[in-house]
This record gives sequence, structure tokens and C-alpha cells, in this order.
Amino acid sequence: MTVAHVALLTEEEPRSAELTVTGEIDLSNADQVRDELYRSIANDLMYVSVNLTDVSYMDSSGLRVLFMLAERLQRLQTELAVVAPPGTPARRILELAGFDAVATLRP
Amino acid sequence: MPKSHAGSATDRLERIDVVTDSALAHLEIERLLEELLDRIRELLAADTATVLLLDSSGQHLVTRASSGMKEAVRQGARVRISGSRFAGRIATTREPLILDRVDETTVANPLLWHRGIRSLLGVPLIANDEFLGVLHVGTVGDRRFTDTDVDFLRVAADRVAMATRNRITDSGRAAALSLQRTLIPGLLPEVAGLDMAARYAPGEAGGVSGDWYDVFKLPSGWLCVTVGDVVGRGLDAATVMTRLRTAVRSYALDSADPAEVLTKLDRHVRHFEPQMMATVSYAMWEPSLCRMHLSLAGHLTPVMAPDNAPAELPEIPIDPPVGAGLVPRPRRTTAVDVEPGTAVLFYTDGLVERRNRPLDDGLALLRDVVRSGPTEALCSDVMLRMVGTDPTDDDIALLAIRREPDAAAPELTLTLEAVPESLADMRAALRRWLPTVGATDDDIDDLLVIIGEAGANVIEHAYGPGGGRFELRLTATEAQVEGTVRDQGNWRSARGTNRGRGTQLMQQLSDELRIEHDNGGTTVYLRRSLGNR
Repeated sequence: MTVAHVALLTEEEPRSAELTVTGEIDLSNADQVRDELYRSIANDLMYVSVNLTDVSYMDSSGLRVLFMLAERLQRLQTELAVVAPPGTPARRILELAGFDAVATLRP
Repeated sequence: MPKSHAGSATDRLERIDVVTDSALAHLEIERLLEELLDRIRELLAADTATVLLLDSSGQHLVTRASSGMKEAVRQGARVRISGSRFAGRIATTREPLILDRVDETTVANPLLWHRGIRSLLGVPLIANDEFLGVLHVGTVGDRRFTDTDVDFLRVAADRVAMATRNRITDSGRAAALSLQRTLIPGLLPEVAGLDMAARYAPGEAGGVSGDWYDVFKLPSGWLCVTVGDVVGRGLDAATVMTRLRTAVRSYALDSADPAEVLTKLDRHVRHFEPQMMATVSYAMWEPSLCRMHLSLAGHLTPVMAPDNAPAELPEIPIDPPVGAGLVPRPRRTTAVDVEPGTAVLFYTDGLVERRNRPLDDGLALLRDVVRSGPTEALCSDVMLRMVGTDPTDDDIALLAIRREPDAAAPELTLTLEAVPESLADMRAALRRWLPTVGATDDDIDDLLVIIGEAGANVIEHAYGPGGGRFELRLTATEAQVEGTVRDQGNWRSARGTNRGRGTQLMQQLSDELRIEHDNGGTTVYLRRSLGNR
């Protein structure tokens, strides 16, 4: 069983949200991760960051979730940043897929 | 002459004995009691004859059989044994009681006065000094019970109590054994790189006890091993065993520290099974298999047998058993290195304890007997030399786990169901195997994605709704890992938006990647060098 957790960390800035995903993302739970991310993001936000530092595995099903999220937030005119320090599994995959073209990639 | 005095007392008892003899041995307890009660009622010219037995809590009497008042059984009528009314008083005093007024002030069960009973005679059911329940007879007419009736019913109750006791013991033993059979895993999980075998042998002294072993994988790829022994015998110990087994599994899901799991289990037992105690050995193996983390709750130390070397009993601190006893104290976890080829033997005390031999001698003998090797043969050998043909008093549970020796050209072969849930199992197996062939953390991250994407492709595209399987086959040399992911399905390209990135990722992450389709299915060939990123 593949397990991931999505947590809404802080809302210090009223119009921004910081989300953290931990665990693994693959075919078996990508839809669930997507739904939890969508549920945590309100439509009045200016800025959303998704922290993937503690994601220990992610493949193209995780990429699909993030690309779709980027697309939707672009439509809502909400800025998206993805946090993944160099050396993490998520960073490697995001870089290879050229994710920095659709959202900010931060260490 | 009243009917109840017909025939001598001896004649009448013979009619009870006929009922308790072997001709009725096959009857279930309820049917046997009904048969007996029919005869007792007839012999005493009574209108009802009823048996109430203690329930599992020991606090209530439950109507188990009746002649003339079956509705009490159907309605599950029960009374507290501490009560001051009819059945409760018999349970407390363990003396016969005659009642000539039946109403809410004298009996707890309203069915009795609804039935119109005007006089009651009850006696305790006692076998081998153990109180089992109450037998009572009642009349609706004018008949009053006499001292002669009391004497007869007491003797009849002894017969009923003996028959009940035997029947309860037999069925308890059968139930406990079948619980053991259900819960002791028939098949141990398959873990690439480990070889496992187990034995369970019930003792001959008094049916099964509460020994168990359990092996399960966690989503994180860690492997958990439990061997435990609930103090006590029979159905009670076996049912507590089943609950502890489940409790360990639940706590294991949420903790990476064996001492923490056993601390929670201790709290669980103290709260939910206050009278029980158990010894438990709980180990967690790292996914790489090179180390095991172990916590012992009053349980004997496992034997460690390195390849081609004498076995030893490692120095591991032993904390108190879980359950009844002293104030809870902090528990400890010990990390133990497990070299390739080393066998670890977990067991319960029945393997080494004999009446005529000190425990230390039993442990020393076990240490001399254990040699690392294939685990099925190891278990057979240990049982042969530790048990042989001697009858054993206690149950024995034995679990041998051996880390397979390093092969010259290491290989990994896995066959998996083409379902999304297989991906996590596959990654756990790769996380165990890849470090053993010299892959760095970066190599592992990349290979997990290459092989994970290949597996996900099979799962999403290869088969129709009926599903299928796929096979992963890898070989490693010093410089690289190569192999295939193969299915027997029909290739179908990806559908939908934002799909198809998987193949691109596989190409980017590997040194060589080919996808070939033919009538037999699809094969992905992959090769990736090690230590180069």
C-alpha cells in the first residue's frame, strides 16, 4: 500500500497557503493526493507553496498531479511554488520533466 | 403415593446414568443437557427442569437448556450470580434451596412467574470443586419439594456437572486448536533475500496454549516478526493470543520502534486484559535486511547462527513481560547486525523447557543444535533434536529467518499482480535488494522510478479488466544493473492529458531503454550504470 499525507501547514498570510506532502506518490494513490491538494486550496489565494521535501518516491503519476495543479492555479491566477531541495527524489523528477517552466521550483 | 417417589433412588439414578454414558457422547452440550433435564423432570414429577451455566465473564448465569421452559433459552435469560434471589443465592452459598413463593421478590427471572411456577428447587452444579452453574426444577401445581427430592437432585446434579465439565473442556480444546490453526500463518510472506520457515506443535499436557508467531510487511518496506506466548492454557489463552496478535499489527503500522510497540501493547494488555500476561519478542528488519531492531518483553533471546560458524545467544536486554505485574518501565530496543547467510531463530519456551532439565541446559543444547542453512531443514532439524519422540508439556512455536548468502551474480526475480497495490511491494523489494548490489542512494532513487514506470505501464495499459501478472527480472554486476519488466498483455498507448511522461522519464534516467512488443506481450529492457550520477 502506498501512503502519502497532505497537510495544510500555515496560513499566516491570509491569502497564502503552505502545503506539505509526505510519503510516496504512485499510480495507486495519485488521485487521492490530487483530491487532498485541491481540497486544501481555496479560490481566494494569491500564493500556494507545496513542499515535497519528505516525499520519498514520486513517479510520472505524481508529475501529472503537479502539472494539473499548476495548470489550474494558472487559470485562477494563483502563484505556485514547489519546494524540493536538490538531492531529493522529487527534485530530480521535476527537473527532468521541465516542471520549472510552469511553476517556481525552490530548494 | 406421589409419583415422585416411584422406584428406589438407585433405580432412578440409573436412568440418569444411562443418559450420561457413551451412547450420548456425540451430542452437543445443549442437546445432552436437554436429554438429562427431560429425565430429571419426569423422575421428579416436575413441570420444568432448567440448567443455567456461568458465562465467560464469570459474573452471570445464562440459561443454557430447559425441559418445560425452552423460552428461557431462546430469550437468553441471564441473572447476576451476586444477586440475593433464587439462582444468585445458590451460586453464592453453593447449597440447595427450596422456594415456595415465586415472584419478583424471590426470583430474578420474570419468566419463572410468568410460567406460573409456584414452587422451585435448585442445586449448584459443581465438578472438581469448580462451580459451573445451577440446576433447578419447578412445579405449577400444589406439589412441594421435599428433602428426598433435594437428595435426588443433588446426586443428579453431580452427574450433570461431570458431563458438562467434560463437554466444555472438549469443545474448548477443539475451539482453541482451531483458533490456533486459523491464526498461525499457513504461508509466510515472500521477501526477496530472506528464507523463512516455521513450526507450531501443540503440547500434550492439556491442549493448546497461547503461543503464536506472525510475520508481516509494512508499507514502508520494513518486515515485522512477532513470537509470543500468553501465560495460561486453553481457549482463554488462545483468544487473548488472537487479540494481542492483532494489537501488535495495529501498533506496528504506526511505529518504527519495537520498544514503543511493546510499550503500547503493555498498556493495551493492562487495560483490556487485566488478568493476563504474555512474553513477546518483536523484531523489525530494515528493508535492506542488514539490520534487525529487537525488543524483548520477558521473552527468550533469539539464536543467531552466522554462516559456517557456531550459533550464539546475543546479549540483548530483556524487559518485563507485557501485562500484569509491576509498574511499567521504559522498554529498550537493540539493533542487531544480520550478515548475509546468518539465520535467526525465534521460539517459545516450550522448545527448551523440560521438567527434568535446567533452562540454561536447554538453551545451551539449542545453541549447539542450530546451524545456519536453508530454513525448512533448519526447523526440522531443531525439532528433531530438541523434541525427538518425547511428549512435550507445552506448546512450541518456532520461526527461522535466514538472510540469504550473497550470490556471485546477484539476481532479483519478482512476479507481481498487475494492480496498483503491487507498486509499493515492488519498491520495498527493490529497496532491500539494490543496496546489497552496491547501488548508491541516487542509483536507488533513479532505478525505483525507471522500474516503477515500467510497472505502472503494465498496470494501466497491458490487460483488460480481468487483469494479469508481470515479471521483473534484474541482474547486477559491479558496474551496472540490467534486466527486464515483462507482461503477457496487449500494448495500448497512454490516454488522457498529461499522460505519457513516464516513458520519457524512463529514457532520461537509464543508460539504455528499449520497449518491445510482440504477440506474447511487452518487454521493457533496461540498463543503468551504478555510482555515476
